[in-house]
Amino acid sequence: MTQAPASSVAKAAPQVPPKPRTWPRTLGIVAVLAVLTALTATPALGGVEIDLGAIAKNWTNGADRIGKMLTPDLSVLPRTWQPLLETLQMAVVGAAISAALAIPLSLWAARPTNPNAPFRAAVRFVLNVIRAVPDLVYATILVAMVGVGALPGVITLVLFDIGIVVKLVSEAIDSADAAYMEAGRAAGGTQSQINRLTALPQTWPAYVSQVMYSLELNVRISAILGLVGAGGIGRLIDEMRGFYRYDALSTIVLEILIVVVLIELASNVLRKRLR
Amino acid sequence: MNDLTTRPEAEGDMPSASGPWPVELDDVTVRYPNGVVALKNVSLTVGAGEMVAVVGLSGSGKSTMIRTINGLVAPTSGSVRVGPHAVSELRGRALRHARGDIGMIFQGFNLADRASVFHNALVGRFSHMPTWRTTLGLATEADRAMVMRSLDSVGMLEKVWHRAGALSGGQKQRVAIARALSQEPAVMLADEPVASLDPPTAHSVMADLAAINASRGLTVLVNLHLMDLARQYTTRMIGLRAGEVVYDGPAASATDADFEAIYGRPVQARDRLGE
Repeated sequence: MTQAPASSVAKAAPQVPPKPRTWPRTLGIVAVLAVLTALTATPALGGVEIDLGAIAKNWTNGADRIGKMLTPDLSVLPRTWQPLLETLQMAVVGAAISAALAIPLSLWAARPTNPNAPFRAAVRFVLNVIRAVPDLVYATILVAMVGVGALPGVITLVLFDIGIVVKLVSEAIDSADAAYMEAGRAAGGTQSQINRLTALPQTWPAYVSQVMYSLELNVRISAILGLVGAGGIGRLIDEMRGFYRYDALSTIVLEILIVVVLIELASNVLRKRLR
Repeated sequence: MNDLTTRPEAEGDMPSASGPWPVELDDVTVRYPNGVVALKNVSLTVGAGEMVAVVGLSGSGKSTMIRTINGLVAPTSGSVRVGPHAVSELRGRALRHARGDIGMIFQGFNLADRASVFHNALVGRFSHMPTWRTTLGLATEADRAMVMRSLDSVGMLEKVWHRAGALSGGQKQRVAIARALSQEPAVMLADEPVASLDPPTAHSVMADLAAINASRGLTVLVNLHLMDLARQYTTRMIGLRAGEVVYDGPAASATDADFEAIYGRPVQARDRLGE
């Protein structure tokens, strides 16, 4: 469409507008970060105490354990199957329940799918509270309330997963282009109708990848939950750690690693299909 | 205005608009919150069954004007009436009901790319469906049949189970037309429906709109910026410039001078689509 003849390009060097100077700003940002780092690491100014010398003094204590971990004791394997299975069950059930609850919550927490600002703010506030409480605190309280076992663990995982999945999925909805919403409104649809028929399918890829991520996190977290009696392989980890059986511990860690890698592979396959 | 005849293809068991309907704008002014006045005291009447082009450059207010007709944009002052609906007075359920009788297609198609063609076209049934039916995915047989007929009428029935994002631009706009037709509308609005399409596809989509006007007798308002499309496919032309009506007359006999008055500059090559 441009009518400019080609010769004018070749005639003279084009007038390049002056490049804006960005280095003063970059320098400023680097300086602020350096000062902040120095302040937070200076105990005299209220920063944290970082004693690098302690590493040199104490590293042999840890090295001994690391050495043991490098020679995994596979004889513990038969004892791990049952708790590992329980961990997997807890992870899957927790991820499934939170996934179901996350569908409406994600839609209510995102601006395009919930234009009602007070309602949206309320949903987000509740989710912030849920996310703010550490998982170990949930597990400890729930163990006291419903007893030792897998149930407090599953409830903890559901609460933890909802916080993560809803936050990440609703942010994905917020940042996605939602021109189809205007068509739904123009056709006389209610927000719920628009969400169900068009916003939901648009959200599946983000939703599936976050649910798979929560499943992976669940396997790792349930190793910790056993410490407070909330079921799963964590109980065995705690026991092995108590007896300084770091070689057996290493076997369990390897098992968790394998499970996490398998989940990631499954997640990649699913995501590729949904693309 | 005109006599309101019942369309022969209206379903007996479905509430549907008994069109075509006239569209009346009375002294409509739209001032956006940022102070921009998009429409200034626009008054006009489009007769039932007319095919009208609204022509103007981008920023002339034609997009705003077409959105006041289905209430996507509320007039700051003045009133809009479409058939029996006093659109500018309506809110909530009554506004959604009115929008259900007014079909609309868009420059960017506004489809949910990850949803199927069927679900995108089912959006047109929103105002005829209770929300719970949409939420549970329980469209009635009559709704499904209406969607299939609409897709068939634009030649897209064979793609009904394809994902909307997998279609070409022309196919997407046909699905968007089918979505609007599924509403069984009395009035059809089109906001720059061919601006994102190549010339041959643009001509066939304009021909589709003209056919809808001729065979179904719908009142059609189509926003265009290209003079040859307005002349070829519409009978009446309304020219907008800076939010004011500067031309209102037959489209076919509009002279280049008339277009220069609308554009506020000499006619250029890019004001025509060509073949």
